[in-house]
Parts: sequence; C-alpha cells; structure tokens
Amino acid sequence: MIVCVAVVGHQNNPLYLQSFTGSDDALKLHHIVHCSLDVIDERVNNPKRSASTLNETFLGLLYPTENYKVYGYLTNTKVKLIMVTTDLDVKDADVRSFFRKFHAAYVDAVSNPFHVPGKKITSNSFSDRVGAIVKSFGPSMTL
Amino acid sequence: MEDYPEELRTPPVALVCLAGCPELHHPISAFLHSEQPPINTLALPDFSKASVLARKKNRDPLSQPTPAPPSGILKRDWLLKHRTRVPAVVAALFRADQISGDPAQWLQACTDLENLKSLIHGRSTRLVVVLVQTQAAEELSEDVMTALRKRAEIDPKHLVEFVQNDATDLRQSLNKLASLFAELCLTYYKEEGRRIRSIIEKKSSPFPELNIRYCFKIAIYAEFRRDWSEALKFYEEAYRVLREMTNTSTRLPPIQRLVEIKTIAEQLHFKISTLLLHGGKIMEAVARFLKHIKTYKRLVGPPEVDFLHWEWYSRQFLVFAELLETTAAGAPSSQSPRFGTAESPFSEWEFQPAYYYQLAANYLREKRCCLEQSSLSKTDLPTKITEAPDSVMPSIHIGQSARLVEEGDIVTVLPLSDAEYVAYALAEAERFQDCYEIIALYKRAQESFSSHGSQRMACLCTLGMAREYYASDDFTNSKQLFDTVAALYRREGWAPLLWEVLGYLRDCAKRLGLTKEYTAYSLEMAALPVFSTGFEKTIDFGPAGPATLSRREEIQREALNFAVETDGDTEPVGLDIDPVSPLRSVLLVAVAFHEQSVKPDSAALLTVSLLSQLPLLFKVGSLEVEFNQPACNFSMPVPLEVSPNKWLRLTHEVKSGQSGKLECLSVKAKINNNLIICCRAESPALMEDLTMWKYENQRETYPTLDPALSLSGQKSIQVDEPNPLVDLTLNSTGPALVGEVFQIPVLVVSTGHVIRGGELKINLVDARGGGMLMSPRETDESDAHHVELLSISGLPEEKEDDQNTDLSEETKSDNIRKIQYSFGVVSVPVLKEGESWCCNLEIRWHRPKSVMVYVSLGYNPGDVDQRVNVHRSLQIEGKVPFFVNHRFMMSFRREPLLISNIRSLISPLEEKKVSLAFKENNIVVVSAKNCTDVPLNLVSMKIVPEGGTDSSQKLFVVQEISGISNNCTRFVPGEEFRGVFSIIPQVSKPSLSLGVVCVEWMRENQKQDQPEIVTTKHSLPQVCVEDPPLVAAIECPPFAIVGDPFSVYIKVKNNTNLLQEIKYSLGDSQNFVFCGAHVHSASVFPGKEHVLSYKFVPFSAGVQQLPRITITSVRYSAQLTPSIAAGTIFVYPTEPKFTLEKNGSELVV
Repeated sequence: MIVCVAVVGHQNNPLYLQSFTGSDDALKLHHIVHCSLDVIDERVNNPKRSASTLNETFLGLLYPTENYKVYGYLTNTKVKLIMVTTDLDVKDADVRSFFRKFHAAYVDAVSNPFHVPGKKITSNSFSDRVGAIVKSFGPSMTL
Repeated sequence: MEDYPEELRTPPVALVCLAGCPELHHPISAFLHSEQPPINTLALPDFSKASVLARKKNRDPLSQPTPAPPSGILKRDWLLKHRTRVPAVVAALFRADQISGDPAQWLQACTDLENLKSLIHGRSTRLVVVLVQTQAAEELSEDVMTALRKRAEIDPKHLVEFVQNDATDLRQSLNKLASLFAELCLTYYKEEGRRIRSIIEKKSSPFPELNIRYCFKIAIYAEFRRDWSEALKFYEEAYRVLREMTNTSTRLPPIQRLVEIKTIAEQLHFKISTLLLHGGKIMEAVARFLKHIKTYKRLVGPPEVDFLHWEWYSRQFLVFAELLETTAAGAPSSQSPRFGTAESPFSEWEFQPAYYYQLAANYLREKRCCLEQSSLSKTDLPTKITEAPDSVMPSIHIGQSARLVEEGDIVTVLPLSDAEYVAYALAEAERFQDCYEIIALYKRAQESFSSHGSQRMACLCTLGMAREYYASDDFTNSKQLFDTVAALYRREGWAPLLWEVLGYLRDCAKRLGLTKEYTAYSLEMAALPVFSTGFEKTIDFGPAGPATLSRREEIQREALNFAVETDGDTEPVGLDIDPVSPLRSVLLVAVAFHEQSVKPDSAALLTVSLLSQLPLLFKVGSLEVEFNQPACNFSMPVPLEVSPNKWLRLTHEVKSGQSGKLECLSVKAKINNNLIICCRAESPALMEDLTMWKYENQRETYPTLDPALSLSGQKSIQVDEPNPLVDLTLNSTGPALVGEVFQIPVLVVSTGHVIRGGELKINLVDARGGGMLMSPRETDESDAHHVELLSISGLPEEKEDDQNTDLSEETKSDNIRKIQYSFGVVSVPVLKEGESWCCNLEIRWHRPKSVMVYVSLGYNPGDVDQRVNVHRSLQIEGKVPFFVNHRFMMSFRREPLLISNIRSLISPLEEKKVSLAFKENNIVVVSAKNCTDVPLNLVSMKIVPEGGTDSSQKLFVVQEISGISNNCTRFVPGEEFRGVFSIIPQVSKPSLSLGVVCVEWMRENQKQDQPEIVTTKHSLPQVCVEDPPLVAAIECPPFAIVGDPFSVYIKVKNNTNLLQEIKYSLGDSQNFVFCGAHVHSASVFPGKEHVLSYKFVPFSAGVQQLPRITITSVRYSAQLTPSIAAGTIFVYPTEPKFTLEKNGSELVV
C-alpha cells in the first residue's frame, strides 16, 4: 500500500505532500520524504552516471526502512516526485507506471492557468486524482 | 562489539604446547607468532606443569550412547579453552646431554614422556620430541634416537633435532619446527572437525542444541585451519538449526529460552558477518543482515521483557555498523553505479555504517520506551517476585543465567525461574541510562552522514539527539541542536517539521527562562504556514501541539499575553528583525519613497507598509520610524491594527534640510509595554519573499498602492544640493603656446547667495584621457610635467593689502592656498550678493598638449552646514610657437677632406654624426617657422653654448652672419625666418656640443609695461670636429664675359706631415675652351699648398657649367667633385655696367 506521495520543488521545498495512513506515522513520513532528498541529490549529482541513465527519470529505490520503501522520480523540470510504500517487494515496472501517472497528474495540475509556478499545489482535483492513482496501485500488485 | 569476548572477536589461532628447556620458549614463541598463519604457544617451563593439559572429566558426552538432553547450546568457555588450553601439538624439548649422559637423566626424560603421553591420551593431540643441541658436534647416536622415538611412540619425522649453535642453524631449525607444527596443527584440527562431523552424519541427534553445538565446533575448527568457506557453511547451518529451534524447544522457561536463542543467534550472525565482510562480500553480508533482523524482529517475547528484545535488536545494528566501519570494505559503488533498481536492490545507505547507527539509536529508544512501561507495570506483578534475586551470574552456557546460593562453604548454582529472571533483567536495565548511549549513537550517525554530504539525514540524527537531551532535561544542549535543525527546515520550507522543532525550542526557552527567545519562537510558530487539514490534528507534534490554525492563534495570544504578564519594571523584550531573520513573517516592514530625489527642505512622500502573517489581528501601540538623519525621525502614536496577510500602508511626509542620502533604517513597533519589535526597513524593490510563505497559494498583495512603486520603491532618497546662485566664468584667449605663462581669468560673481568658506579647486587633466600630465618615465623630475599650474595671480587680497576690510580680515584666518603641478586650491573670500571676485590661473605648457581645466567652487550658501558646488571646465590647446630646424654646410667652394665622412660611406650602418672641419668656417643655417595661428614677434635668435660656461667658448667661435635686422620682427602665421651662423671649432674632438639655438619671441599686442619675452630652445646635435688632412678650395671669378679668358685655381692644401699625392682630371665642355692637362697628378708637400691653374674662355652667355673637375687623394682614396652650384658661373655677353644707387646698397644691373 502506498502510504505517502510528495511533490518537491526546486529549493527542496514540499509542494504537495499527502499521506494515506493513520495519524501515528504522518510526521515520520514527512521526515522520510525529507531525508530521501539526500539520496536524490546524490544520485542526480553523481558524476558516475552512465549515458544510458542520464535521461532516466525514474530514480529507483531511495531509502530503505524496515517498514517502508521510498521511490523517487525526477521530472525534466527537476521537480521531484516521491512515493513511500509499505509493500516490501514491489515490481519496478509497477512503480514506473505509477510515477508516469503521477507525473501526468502533476503536469495537468500545473498547467492550470490559475496555478502559480513554484507555489504549493492546492488543487482538489489533483488530490482526488492522486488518491485514485494511489488506490489503483494496490490491486495491480495482487494481479 | 566491544562487549563480545576477545576469543569471539578475533579469528582463532592454532595452539602448540612447549614443555622443557624454558630458555628456548621465548625465541620459539616469537618466531611461531610471526609466522603466516601465526601459531600461539602454551609454554610449560618444566614437565611437572603439564597437568594443565589434563581434561577435567574423562567422560565424553558425545560418546554416550543415550545422552541426556543438554542443558545449554554452547558452553561459555569452550572456545577459550580451545584457544588457550587445548594444544594441537605438544612438543617435549630435551637437551641432548640429558639424553646421552647420565642414566638417571635418561630415566627422568622417559618418565616425563610417559606423563605427557598419558595426559594427551584419548585426544588426537600430536606429540613431538625436540632434541636441543647446543653444538652441531654433539651428534647423538642412532641407537639413542631410536630408543627415544620408541619410548615416545612417535614417527621418525616427529623427532626433530634443534641446532642452535649459530644464527643460520637456529633459523633453519626454527623454520623446520614451524613447518612441522603447522602441518601437525592442520592435521589435528582437520581430524577434530572430521570427528565431530562424523557424529552428525552417523546419527541425527534428537536435540537440536547438540546439532548447533557440533556445527559451531566444526566451524571453529575450520577457522583454526583458516578454511573460511567451510566455517561459513557450518555457521550458517548452525544458524538455520537455531532458527528452527525457536518454536520447538521447551528446555528452559520460555523467556530465558528466547534470550539464550537470541544470544546464540547473535554470536553466529556476528561470525557469519565477519567472515563475509572480511571476504569482501559486502553485498551478501548486507543481505544476510537484513534477513537476520527481519527474521528476529517479530520474536519480541512476552511484553514484560520486550525491552530485552529491543536492546538486543538495537545491538544487532550497532554491531553490524561497527563491523562495516572497521572492515572499511566500502559500498561497491564502482561495480553497480545505480542503486535502487533491478540491477542493485540496495540503496546507497545500506552500505554506510551511519544508517545502522541511526537505526540502532532508534531501537534503543524503543527499548527505553518499553522499559519505562515495564517499570511502571512492575507494581502490578505478584509481590513475591518483584524483588530481584541476589547474586545472579552468567551460567556455564552462553545466554543463560543462574543464581548462586551460598550456604556456609557450599556454593550451589540454581536455575532461575522466568519471573525471577524478569525481575533481575528489569533491575539490571534500570541501572543504566540509555539516553547517553542513544545520543552517542545518533552522534556517530550524524557525523558519518554529514561527512557523506547527506545533510538531511544528518539533520534527522541531530533531531534525535536533541529529543534525547530534551527527554533528559538538558535543555541547553537540546536547544542548541534544535536550532541547527530548525535552520535547515526553515531554508527548505518544511513547515510541519519546523512546527515540531519550534515547539521543542519554545519549551526549552521557557524552561531555561529565556523570555526573549520564548517570545521569538512563539511568534515564529504563530506565523508559520500550517493549517488544519483533517488528519494532521491527531499527529503527535510533541510540545508544539497540533499544527492547526487555532493552535497558532493560541500561541500568538500566549506570546503576547506572556509579555504582558511580566512585571512592568522589567525591561521590555526587544525583538530585532533583520532581512534574514525568520521573524520576518511576524512583522515585515517595507519603506518606499515615492520619488528618487528631492530638493532640500521640500517634502518627500514616504510609504511605510507593515505586513504580518500572525493569525490574529494585533495592535501596535506606537510606531517609530528612524532615518540616518536623526532630524527626520518621526513616530506615529496612533494605535494601529495589523491584520493577517494584509499590508498596512502609512504615508508620511519627510523634509530634510541636509543634502545627500536620506535612508530609512528601521521601524520600531511597540506592541505593548513589554514587547518592542524593531524591524530593519526594507526596500520593496529589493525585498525577498518570506521564506516560509513564498510557496503558499495566497493572494499576492503589494506593499504600496501603486504596484509600480512596489517593484521600484527604495527605502532611501537622494536629497539634492540647493541650486547655486553664483556665476563662475572661465575665459581664455585662444590656444596657449609652449613656454609662455598662459593666463586664464576666473570670475566669481554672487547672484543671490552669500558665499562663505568658498574654495576654488583647479584641476588640470589631459583632455585625451588618462589624466596624466607627465610622462610616466619621468615622474620624478620636476620639469617632467608637461603642463604645470604655476600660480594663481590677481587675488584681491594681494592687491588690496592696504585697504584691509573686515571681510578680508575674516578670510585671512582660514586662507587656504595650495598649488601643485596639476591641482590647486584657493580660498574665496566672503562675497555678498552682487559682489564679484576674480583671479588668474597661470599655467605653463612644457609640451604641446590639450588640457581640460576643471574649476569648481564649493561654498556654504547660508548658515546651514551644507556645501554647494559649481563646476566649470574649459579645454585649452597647447601649441608650439616656432618650429626650429637647422642645417650644416661648408663654405662655398671650399672642401676640407673629412675622413669620418668617407668612413660613413664605407660603413653606412654606423651612427652618422655631422662632422665639422677643425679651424675651418662651418656654416649653420637655422630656420624658425611660426606655426601658430597668431602673428608673433621674433626678438632674437642666438646660439648659446650649453651651460653658458666660459670654457666652452674656447671650444668654438660662433659668428652670426645674418640675423634679425631690428629688435623685433613680426612674423605672420606660416612665415619662416632663417639665421646663418658660422662656427669655427677651436679644438678637435670626436664629440662636441654646439649648444642650443634660443629663439626669443613675444606675443603681439602685449601690454607694453611688462612685455613677456619667451624663449623657445632648440638644441643642436653633437658634432664631430676633425682636422682635415687636405683642404681643396676652388677660386673662380664671380662672373665671366664671352670671349674673355679667366683663370680658375684649384688649391689643395696639405695639412699633414706626409707627402700627399693627388690626381685630378677635367672634363670637356662645349661652352668653354681651356688650357691645362685633362688628367694629371701631383704631389703636395707637407704643410704646403698645391695650386692647379686653368684658364678658361667662355663661348656662350648665361649660367654656364664649368667643365667637371675631379680631384682624387690617392692616400685616402677620396675623390672630390665640386657641387653643381660650385661649378656654375654666369657669363655675360659683354662687360656689364654697374651703377650704385645712392639710397641703398642694391646692385642694379
């Protein structure tokens, strides 16, 4: 189950953070998302990246904890999408497809003419859409 | 890891026992220890000590057909025993003389051997007999050797001779001994391993404990012989069997059983991890570890002892982190460049010790939590076991505890019940303060993460430390750490995280009694962009409380009321908010002047805008606005209300009488009697967004009504100078001429202001830029200045010295007059309205140059201490008045032979210097051309010897042949004057200075009383004066008449003491007939003159060319051909008649 999704801006500032879990872990999830930015920084700035991975948007597993797995995705505008899940063995392909949908939702949300670039995303329809994507992630795993 | 016994932490080393010959033990031990692999030695100085090798009990439990269930898995001292007391090889050392000599000694040796044999009976320990020979000659007979071997019942190769008579022999013997020991050790440990393996294979034991024990032993034996892969295999097997045992074993009470299993699992896992990491298999080690912790995480056990589980669990992380750190294998970054994908399922951090330290700290916190709960619920337990039993000690099995009961002298070891054990464990755990350990773990993690550049993770660890300090009431340390954490969250705008941290900080400040900090943190919290959204209400934010709007309002009220509650006598809390302060969201002050500049004493409009993100409206008692000119400060005593996120704009008029920059510095808002917020004023144009609010979606508002002013408004304004009411004029009369003192009149007329403290500054600057009025090479010399300000003349006080008015009295006291080459300052007296003052700037040009003259007048217009400046400038061209040139010539038809001229023809590259003939008449023609635009009067032209000394006059004689007829001749622009001088050198020297040509001139229309005569100088070059060996002169009449014969003499004078041979020739001419030789030669005697005489008869009239005469000096290879002018003669058709007129000397034909 996905417990948290986040959109992080250029200054590593949260633009959107939504948890889908009970109250206990919500602050911990904030910390997890925040710390995972360290790994993103390291991966993005790592000069060893080979040519084939340079244009790769999916950053893979970022941050292991015993209870969660954190995955990252970097858009071409350097906005970071982060997902925290409790499923401990997830298929790469599923995560990639999740991020593709999440990215599409993000692009639609910021394409709104009333959205100011760089500001937090407060659109309800974006929240709903992300909620739907998150929900659809679970069943696809069981298939 | 340090808690583990030494024997577990280090790989086992084979053990060899030495008995007898104690003097050899040290060298042998040292040698064996330094071998690769090393061998430890158990040294027994004599055979009587051999009893330590004896087994404690002969019964081997393994050989029992039906063994009783074992009371534990691993014995505590088994490994130590095998490392220190059970040797693989026993070596009996005998001296050769002991064997061969006295029969009593031989018997003794036999007894010792028997003893040893009996001690190691039943074991596979090998016996080696070493015969020590001090000298090689001490050969033992074959019989003795055989007898000894038989006695010891050993192979021939196990009887070793040890020769130690010299270093090479010793070394050889040691090597032989070492290799034998190594071989025997290997065999021993292999056999032991095989023996135990056969037990497992023969019958599977009904007790898994034994299986684990056997596997462990096999692995240890494998380690003894450095067979790491087999060791790993059996450790893993033991680990697997142990894992299966968790649910089946009923041997011990459940709690203690679990403790024992976990302790064994920890040891086995430690061994496995160590082997994997030392083998460089870091990926496998990490995978193995993750599996280990996953397997055991759920084995918490009964709730009353769950703290034991978490302590154990935390230790797993700590030990693994230490192992990772010490093996320094490092992350396999080079092999797998991309973590977290299908290629490499791990992430970077899983190879970093820091990650495990941090988790160890987390679980230690968990342990403390559980411990606190257990301690609380301890009172609920039945009273009889709440008391921890005395003298609990570790039992003989690893992971078990037992009670020691003393009854008189008899000490019995009794097993513990679970309840007793729990009480004991609780009592033990309560003795330790975990928080320091937790902080130390976080600290290690934080340092490690920081060094890897993972600042956010390091920050999380710092947060952990800070929380621990907070929990242990160390608020000073806690506050310091929270502050560093808050800085990162502020920078990156993580409001919920900052909210939590600020909550802690606020509480720390409160407990430490820091009122100012408390207020600051409270206000910052109240102004944070956190809003209530469904679930966040229930998140535990620590002392901060829920991150909701209502909580923010509550905090704001608390902070403002807190200040009110304090005593009225105390100093009010002053908060300073600068442009980098996090408190900007509490109160932001933008100050914008409506204009960019303003005239003095006229009003400038100023808008002071206040913005607050506090959730509740608050009142400002008074507002003080401060400027850099304190006279402009003003305050607004009216109470103002600042609403959340709404600019409060106040427009005010400011008047400044002082020119310059007027800048708003700060705005002090008095909230109530105890709180004053002092905000640094910010310009709207340069204002940065609020760090925490800039990402929020809220309506954008402008600090000023006019949006354009919000983009360009500045907090400072330029106050202009008052307009000068003074006329400053600079005049010039055309271009300046080099050399003269050029005067520029300056006129100051007051047209409205009273000029006080006036100061006139003059500055000369090169008009072409660069500002340099001197050539850079000659900066030291005083005359190197191309243009020089000489003085300022015509000052009124000089003129009016007699009529000292009160005004000049006043100015004299502070009269400044300072003149440098290109800069001058002169003070201007007090001038009332309508009065004027003038002076002349005297400037001399040394070089032709275009110069800008800048004149500025600064003065105080009134009583105010304010300067007004007027600037004027004028470009003046400096020109050369006369262009002077010169030319050297010889006398007409007189040609001295100058050797240097011939030389220069041969080698033309040499520097050509004009040569003058010694004691001959040399002619210099000097021309001077007026190259200005104005007519100039030439006064005189002279050749003045350099320096003008008398001695130089003897060097040559100058005679003016033609010059200026009267004293003053007018030359219009472009007109040229030529002066002719004759120079007769009186000395012969290769370098002679002829001095300078001085052209004296003056401007026309000058005042007659003091005409200024200016001298323009032109230096003549250095010349070479030489004595000509031959001088040829042509004498020819001034004219001829057709048909009338005339004589031409060519005179060649020999000035040398040598006989000079000359050749001469004469060409033909159709206009003349002549008599004399065409080609001839002659000799000229020393000091004599040879005269060639020719008679010519001209045929035709007019200007005629005489036949070409050539004279050649044979000695000097010099040929003279007179110039065309010298060979020209005018021929009259008939004899001319000359009439002299009375009125002049003109000759009229």
